Amino acid sequence: MSLDNILNHWSDYRKAAEDGGFYDPEGNHPYEHRWTMSIDLDLCNGCNACSTACYAENNLAFVGKERFEKGHAMNWMRIERYWDDQEKDYPERGASFLPMMCQQCGSATCEPVCPVAATYHTPDGLNAQVYNRCIGSRYCSNNCPYRVRYFNFYSYYDDAWPEPMQQQLNPDITVRDKGVMEKCTFCVQRIRSAKEKAKMENREVRDGDVVPACAQACPTSAIVFGDTLDENSAISKLWKKHQVRRNVTKQHKENPELRGYRIFEELNVDPSVMYLERVREEV
Amino acid sequence: MMGWGGAGTLLAGCDMPSTVTLEEGREEVISYLSPEEYVIPGVGVWYASTCTQCAAGCGIHGRVREGRVLKLEGNPASPVNRGKLCLMGQAGVQNHYNPDRVTTPLLRSGGSLSPVSWEKAEQVLAEKLGGVTSGRFAWFTGSMSGHQLSLVSSHLDAMGSDKHFVHEVVNNSVAQAVYADMFGDASPRLRIDKARMVLSFGADFMGTSESPLLYSGDYTRFRTGDTRGLLVQVEPKMSLTGGSADLWMPIRPGTEGVLALGIANLLLNKLKMSDAGIPADVRAMINDYDVTSVARITGVAGHRIQRVAALLQERSPSLVLAGAAVEGHTHGYASTAAVMMINHILGNVGRTIEPGARMPFPQLAAKRGGTSDLVAFAEAARGQQLDAVIFHASNPVYTAPASLGLEEGLANIAFKVAIAQFPDETAMAADLVLPAASYLEDWGTQAPAFLGGGAALQMQQPLMEKLHAETRGFGDIVLTLLKQRRDAGFEAFEDYYGYLRNAFAALPASVKDGTASDEAFWNGALQTGVVMLPVDVAPLKSTVVAFDPPRGGNDAADGLTLIPSPRMGLWDGRHANLPWLQEAPDQISKVVWDSWAEIHPETAQKNGISQGDLISVSSAHGEIRTRAVLLKSMHRDAVAVPLGQGHEAYGRYAKGVGVNPLKIIDPARDEKTGELAMYATRVSIKRIAGPEQFGLVKAGGSDTQAGRRLVVTVPAEQLRRTEGA
Repeated sequence: MSLDNILNHWSDYRKAAEDGGFYDPEGNHPYEHRWTMSIDLDLCNGCNACSTACYAENNLAFVGKERFEKGHAMNWMRIERYWDDQEKDYPERGASFLPMMCQQCGSATCEPVCPVAATYHTPDGLNAQVYNRCIGSRYCSNNCPYRVRYFNFYSYYDDAWPEPMQQQLNPDITVRDKGVMEKCTFCVQRIRSAKEKAKMENREVRDGDVVPACAQACPTSAIVFGDTLDENSAISKLWKKHQVRRNVTKQHKENPELRGYRIFEELNVDPSVMYLERVREEV
Repeated sequence: MMGWGGAGTLLAGCDMPSTVTLEEGREEVISYLSPEEYVIPGVGVWYASTCTQCAAGCGIHGRVREGRVLKLEGNPASPVNRGKLCLMGQAGVQNHYNPDRVTTPLLRSGGSLSPVSWEKAEQVLAEKLGGVTSGRFAWFTGSMSGHQLSLVSSHLDAMGSDKHFVHEVVNNSVAQAVYADMFGDASPRLRIDKARMVLSFGADFMGTSESPLLYSGDYTRFRTGDTRGLLVQVEPKMSLTGGSADLWMPIRPGTEGVLALGIANLLLNKLKMSDAGIPADVRAMINDYDVTSVARITGVAGHRIQRVAALLQERSPSLVLAGAAVEGHTHGYASTAAVMMINHILGNVGRTIEPGARMPFPQLAAKRGGTSDLVAFAEAARGQQLDAVIFHASNPVYTAPASLGLEEGLANIAFKVAIAQFPDETAMAADLVLPAASYLEDWGTQAPAFLGGGAALQMQQPLMEKLHAETRGFGDIVLTLLKQRRDAGFEAFEDYYGYLRNAFAALPASVKDGTASDEAFWNGALQTGVVMLPVDVAPLKSTVVAFDPPRGGNDAADGLTLIPSPRMGLWDGRHANLPWLQEAPDQISKVVWDSWAEIHPETAQKNGISQGDLISVSSAHGEIRTRAVLLKSMHRDAVAVPLGQGHEAYGRYAKGVGVNPLKIIDPARDEKTGELAMYATRVSIKRIAGPEQFGLVKAGGSDTQAGRRLVVTVPAEQLRRTEGA
């Protein structure tokens, strides 16, 4: 959220739609695109392909064993693995895998606490992080309920790209230095190049033009990505199919058995990621 | 001549390689003021090639910008991975740009390896290989296919030897033997996508199988089809695939065959399915396996066995799979045959088990490795039957159990050559190391043994100029060797590229499918990255072979069974030098940058072991020390130590990290196929010391959801109501 926005809309900012809301319920909004994602937890097998693809695409430094233990790992997209039936002798229903990354919240708790507005809301509905504005207060990370912001405690590039590994770095984005916060961007560089290409060809961005590295890699095609402002996009149809609405703190579905849900939406952060419930058949 | 453009190019060359013309493989310095058509500064172009990080042969697209390859993605045209790419494939760029590559030929002199010129290396090769008596020369490689294999075969012919040892730790050799005997096809197409139920006996088909991405794609269709498929997994240690099971059941290691017979008993005797085609001996044997005794032997509850049998009958067509946990015993063949017999009883052959791809050019068909060749090689070496060997894409010094005595055997081989990209254990034990180009710098073809349909040749082309001038493509090296045998007839080929062009020109018209010219056909092949080949498909037979009764677990009465568990990531240890994969947490235990021992909490308690303790795991052949991870996703009678770590060489990221469980494996072998019984080693565990900081590092803060709605699980009936699946 830009500073202007915060000051002008402070009293509305933390309200959900059912309380009068920040965004116009009539659908008038400041957005050009609304990039969102859906992850089917019944297809995710926790293999880590998405996470590694993210390292390759986004210049993520590996940090090594000791720094990993201290919580420095830069895994923008990480797979949590939970055991649900702890009281049983064996996990008979397998593991619960959860790919977790920045949820690009519509009313993000990280944004208003930044003292320098280094994290702000873009017209695409993304939480952008301006690396060269960031002063490293880490308030945003402290305020993120998903724990998906990663701080550069060191200049990790000193160790992560020894000659000639630095040749692999993606020139479309930066390498972050000590003192800067970073996180998933929904592969903003891919969004940008798709928009530029569309502009060159004098057309709108089409569904499928933008595929983030994680969705591209996913061996079971669990991840769907797209623009929910495009009514005909695959992702729009998914949100509609599962009757999941944005900008609410609780879903009131006609059919409450539909699998779509958002994690921590009750905190009124309006996450842009819809998860589809994991399914298990009773045997 | 040396205007601004040239000077600029020279400056740029300091930290950036100049660009390669991909069509010709020739190096040219390019001025950015007048770049080639395909090099637009700032614009990435995607080129097709083939991944070699495991033997599956997935098609890739590599993003090339300013002459550097930056990112790899799956090639949608590939019938193997259909556009997807796993973590090992993603980390391929770290294989290519690895800081610990071998960059010059190395020759052993005075006990240590020191750099020499290629001229010297070729001279040594000619001298040493020239004098080898025929039959006392061998190649030792990982799984191979395509024209590289064809060249290696030609070299063996020229050397008058037929010894090509092909070795893979992660393999399905025992199952291949069973498939061949029962279905008449050693690599049938397993249609997980067509099955309504999959019963998997330890088959980690999405993680460490022969084609993880092919089966992952099938799995998606299996789960999202008209009826959501039901996955039941039975294994002593939860695999990546087991984590996604609707019902996961631990089983006493080595008793999988007994469970299979128990299910067969129920299907035939209780559910009255036909026993047609089952040999009388086997039919009689089945009757011995009643539910009560099977439950006692396997540790799987009787009501579960009955339910699974009933479901298998109900959910037709189903598919029953056997993986490494079944194959890896002295009675591995018998157990695998017992499992495959269920497919025969259920009539799955021809429905969810279809004929596999049959390569129309047999010399290019994949030669897939196992462990019997490792044993045979160690025996040949110890028995002084070899004078010279060439190693490639395999690291037997690391993977061979200590009990095979491979290292002392190697001392008997006078001349050992390693064509190596990295200073791994085998290269370090060689007399001559030849620096190999990475797969992103090299030409080649791969014939995937498993693919969605038909047969195919996957094209491999250099995506950029070689990083290290002295490295050479594998095909080029073998051609050099062939040219040294003057009678072999390979003088006409300038390089491996020339050989490939010639081979492609010679392909029959049926393959070229009306393409105007050889040039157009070749360019088309490189562009799509895959050449589909005409296949003749013979229907499978569905028979049951006679097999011995699988024993109830291991022969020793007590103790724990060691499971040297492979991971999608470090695989058999070949990816331990890729930091992204070291830092990618193990999918089940979540440990990074280390080895560990997975133990059921009750077993740990019995042995006085707590989470994070340093413990010893000892077999009759040695001891390893690592830290304990207590997980309920283990059978109480098993301890799992993952493969991949414990390197004594192999560069900065691999060396000295963790332990290698392969070293303490018993040399016991499957009675029928001679494959190592990898899952049959008896071990004891003992606490050495308590946890310490940086002892065991795991990703993720919490093992439970602590009541939060993070991963919500719903019953399948609900899905049936809403999504009609």
